Amino acid sequence: MKRTASINLARMRKAPVEPCRLALVAAIAVAVSGCSDSREATAYSDLEDCIEDNPELAQQCRTAYESALAEAATSGPRYDSELACESDFGDDSCQVYQPQNASGSWFVPAMAGFLFARALDGNRYQSSALYTSSYYRSPIYGKWSTADGRVFGNGRQGRVTVDNDAFKPKPAATRTMSRGGFGSVVAAKSNFGGSSRSSSGSRSWGG
Amino acid sequence: MIRLISRERPGWRDRAREFGFHFHTMHGEPYWDESAYYQFTLKQVEDDLEAPTAELHQMCLAVVERAVRDEELMRRFRIPRDHWDLVADSWQAGERSLYSRLDLAYSGQGPAKLYENNADTPTSLYETGFWQWLWLEDKVNSGDIPRSADQFTSVQEKLVNRFAELKQHHPGETLHLACCKDTEEDRGTVQYLEDCANEAGITTRFVYIEDIGHGEGDLFTDLDDQVIRWIFKLYPWEFMLRESYSALLERSGTRWLEPPWKALLSNKALLPMLWKMFPDHPNLLPSYFEEELASSALTCFVKKPIFAREGANVSIHIDGEEVLASEGPYGDEGFIYQAYCPLPKFAGNHTLIGSWLIDDQPAGISLREDRSVITQDLSRYLPHIILGY
Repeated sequence: MKRTASINLARMRKAPVEPCRLALVAAIAVAVSGCSDSREATAYSDLEDCIEDNPELAQQCRTAYESALAEAATSGPRYDSELACESDFGDDSCQVYQPQNASGSWFVPAMAGFLFARALDGNRYQSSALYTSSYYRSPIYGKWSTADGRVFGNGRQGRVTVDNDAFKPKPAATRTMSRGGFGSVVAAKSNFGGSSRSSSGSRSWGG
Repeated sequence: MIRLISRERPGWRDRAREFGFHFHTMHGEPYWDESAYYQFTLKQVEDDLEAPTAELHQMCLAVVERAVRDEELMRRFRIPRDHWDLVADSWQAGERSLYSRLDLAYSGQGPAKLYENNADTPTSLYETGFWQWLWLEDKVNSGDIPRSADQFTSVQEKLVNRFAELKQHHPGETLHLACCKDTEEDRGTVQYLEDCANEAGITTRFVYIEDIGHGEGDLFTDLDDQVIRWIFKLYPWEFMLRESYSALLERSGTRWLEPPWKALLSNKALLPMLWKMFPDHPNLLPSYFEEELASSALTCFVKKPIFAREGANVSIHIDGEEVLASEGPYGDEGFIYQAYCPLPKFAGNHTLIGSWLIDDQPAGISLREDRSVITQDLSRYLPHIILGY
C-alpha cells in the first residue's frame, strides 16, 4: 500500500468555531484529563518538612527540592515591576533577580514550596516548583500554582491530586525586549499589487 | 496517467468544515477540485516518480555538500556573507530536516523532469497528506472507486514517524510552530504539522512570525515570554537572513525546522549546479547561471529568479523572444535559465506534479492544474489514485 494505513480521524476533526461550544469542549477536556491522567503527590513548603515526613527518603527530598529551585530560576514567572509581581503573589513575596549575561533585572516571586511524588515508573521521585499568593485578589490566593500556571489544592502543605503534566519540563521564560524582527520582507512584498490574486492579505508565503 | 471526470462527493464542503479545511476556495475561485482526478499505474508511480524523487533528493544534497565548502558558491546562492557560517555549520552538524517537495513535469511517459525544489516552505501538505486521502476513503466507501484503488500518500504516516524520531533528539522540549499573519492557507498548513507533532507526543505552541520577540540573554521568545528553543517556521530562510533578527540567529541557540542549510536546497541556483554536477541526467533540465547563458546554446528557456514564490517573476523565452511573463516582487538577486519543457496538457489544463519527501523518503504526490503554462498560486489541486500495475 502506498498510502497511510490509518489516520486518527478524531484528532483531525476540528470543532466548529463557535465560542460557546468551544468553552464547553474545553471544560469537558479538563474534566476528562482530570480523572484519567492524574495522581497523588505531596506539596511541601520546605525541605525540612519533606525529610521529616520521609526520613528514609532524605536524599530524594533534597534532589527534588533542588530541581524545583532550578526550575523556578529558569521557568518561573518574571516581572518588570515589583508592584506587578506583588499583585500576583502578595506583599514581600517578590525579590530582584539578576540573570547572568543579561543587562537588566527582574522581579520574581519566591518559590513557596514544591511538589514531591513517586515517578510513574516507580523508581525515582519527581518534583515541581510551587507558588502561592497572600494577596486575596490574586487568582492563586489560597491555592498552589506550578511555574507554568497549573492551579490546584489549597496552598497548604499536604496531599494533593495533580495532573501528570504538572511534572513535565517547563519551558524557560525570559523578558522580551523587542518584537517584530522577523516578517519585514513579507510586509514589503505584500505591497506588491500585481499578484494574480485579486487582493493582498491572504497570500501564502510558502510555495 | 489519465484524467478522469468524477462526481463530487455530496456535502464535501460540510466535510471540509468538519475537518477544518477552510481554504478549499480562495478569492472566490476553487482551489480543491474534485470534479476530476488522475489515475496512475503502480509502475508509473514507483519507477517514474518515487525512485527518481529519492535520487534527485540525494543529488540536491550533494550540491549542498559542495556549496557549504565553497565561498564562491555561497555568493552565487546569494547567502548573505554574515550568515555563511550559520548555513554551513547547520549542515556540518547534521541538523535534521522535516520535509520537501520537488516540482516535476511528467506526462505518464518518459522521465519526469525537475522544475525546482521547494525544500524550505512547501505548502499543500494538508491537502496531500490528509484531504486527498480522505477523498479516496469516501469515494471507495460510496462505491464510486474500486476498493483495489490505492494512492501515493504516506505523508501523514511518515510525518508522525519523523516527529517521533525528532522527539528523541529534543527530550521534553516544546516545539513552537510559526507562520505569517493573515494567510489562512499557511495557518492551515502549520495547524496540520502541529496535529502530526501532537500525534507523535510532542508538546507544541503556536506563535506568529511577526510576534517572535528578542528576549533577554539573546533568546527568541513567544507572546507569553516563553523561550523558543525549537521551532518550525513556514517562512523562507532567504527572508529571515535579511531581517533585523538575523544577527540573533547564531547566538540564540534555537533549533529550526527547516534548518538553515535548507536556504541552499530551496534556492534556484541549485538548478544550474545540478546540471553541472550531473550533466545529462534524465530527470534534469539543462540549466545555467546568467553568465553561462550565451555559451549554452539554449534558445528556448525559462528565466527564473534565484528567489521567488508561487511562480512569480518567471518568463518564457522562445528563439530570443519573451512569449509569456508573470509579474511579482522578486528578481533583485538575479536569475537562472532553465531549458523550456512545457507541462503536459490534460483536458486543456497544464498539470504539475509535486513529489513529497519526509526527510529523505519519498512520501506521496500532489497534482496542480493551471490554465496558464506558468503554475501560480491560483492553480487548482486535484486528487489522484493508483489503479493497476
